[in-house]
Amino acid sequence: MESSTSESSNTYAPSYSNRDPGMNVPVHSQQNLAPLSPYLNFDPVYLPQSQPEFIFPEGAARQRGRFELAFSQIGVSCMTGAAVGGIGGLYNGLRSTTLAGHTGKLRRTQLLNYVMKQGSATANTLGVLAVMYSGFGVLLSWGRGSDDELNTLTAATATGLLYKSTAGLKKCGIGGAVGLGLASIYCLWTARDRLQGFRQEYNPALWVYVNVRHNLPSYMALEHACH
Amino acid sequence: MEEYAREPCPWRIVDDCGGAFTMGAIGGAIFQGIKGFRNAPSGMNRRFIGSLAAIKQRSPIIAGNFAIWGGMFSTIDCTLVHFRRKEDPWNSIISGAATGGILAARNGLPAMAGSALIGGVLLALIEGVGILFTRLSAEQFKPANPVLEDPSQLGPPPPGFPHQQPNY
Repeated sequence: MESSTSESSNTYAPSYSNRDPGMNVPVHSQQNLAPLSPYLNFDPVYLPQSQPEFIFPEGAARQRGRFELAFSQIGVSCMTGAAVGGIGGLYNGLRSTTLAGHTGKLRRTQLLNYVMKQGSATANTLGVLAVMYSGFGVLLSWGRGSDDELNTLTAATATGLLYKSTAGLKKCGIGGAVGLGLASIYCLWTARDRLQGFRQEYNPALWVYVNVRHNLPSYMALEHACH
Repeated sequence: MEEYAREPCPWRIVDDCGGAFTMGAIGGAIFQGIKGFRNAPSGMNRRFIGSLAAIKQRSPIIAGNFAIWGGMFSTIDCTLVHFRRKEDPWNSIISGAATGGILAARNGLPAMAGSALIGGVLLALIEGVGILFTRLSAEQFKPANPVLEDPSQLGPPPPGFPHQQPNY
């Protein structure tokens, strides 16, 4: 047959063999193109890869900076703290007023007091944590000049350490460890699609299979040339 | 761009709540730190511990009060914008008055009225200063006045001035 030198784009005598990359045309309909049409039997490489194209004003970063997100994060923490604390306070208030046998206006006032007290306490706690975390995050990203998961982990650990700093060394360490743990879970959750490929590469059997499959034409050519 | 830095209205409430909380937290920390420092027994170590204790106790409460004020103000502001279908300083002034009134509701009607008056006046001052700054900074963008010619100085109009068809 033809030698291996005529494989690459020879327009006068195209090779038409399965080693020609332009002949990667499947003869059966492809799964991912079937919704378009069962007759579309071409290499999907020829389809334009559409990524959303956003317009950014000059000087704007692609990802929203930490300072922009800070206020809404603090606001969300405050409001969820108020909601959670309010529900907890309502539960505690209902239990204690039922036990004490209060009725009518006294019970309403007591319930309101419980809800407001517990709600504002939890809201303030979560809000202060959010302020500390955002402050550290903004300082770190401004000081390091870049924004990545290391900033998240460091800011969370520093928040835990600072929040429990007046309670003694052991509790301070536990606070820092809790912050680091929560931030690690969050970072692993948000980066899970980037970790998928990482995990696949590390499976040696899969690596061998993928490698051989990818290089099979050149292995065949080598074998052909040897005989 | 500066004018697009604010979120659209429902999320603006969360943003304003967070911003007010931060202002209250930092301001409260500074003021309570100084107050705790001054009210502590003498000796630098005791003064620092006193100021730290005061910050830990009081500043979350101040921050929470600021956050409630900011959140309620923003909620009423967004509601007014939605119902009036326009954005002008009157929204902010009415919101300030209403927030002051609502947050003093537990103290009876005279306290509500006084608080509403203070809130409305404060917001009117803030909006007035904002409008003043906008007018002053817009002065620099004003185009130069075109030189107006006195029509009597121009010569007589060409013959058949308004009616003749233009001949190309």
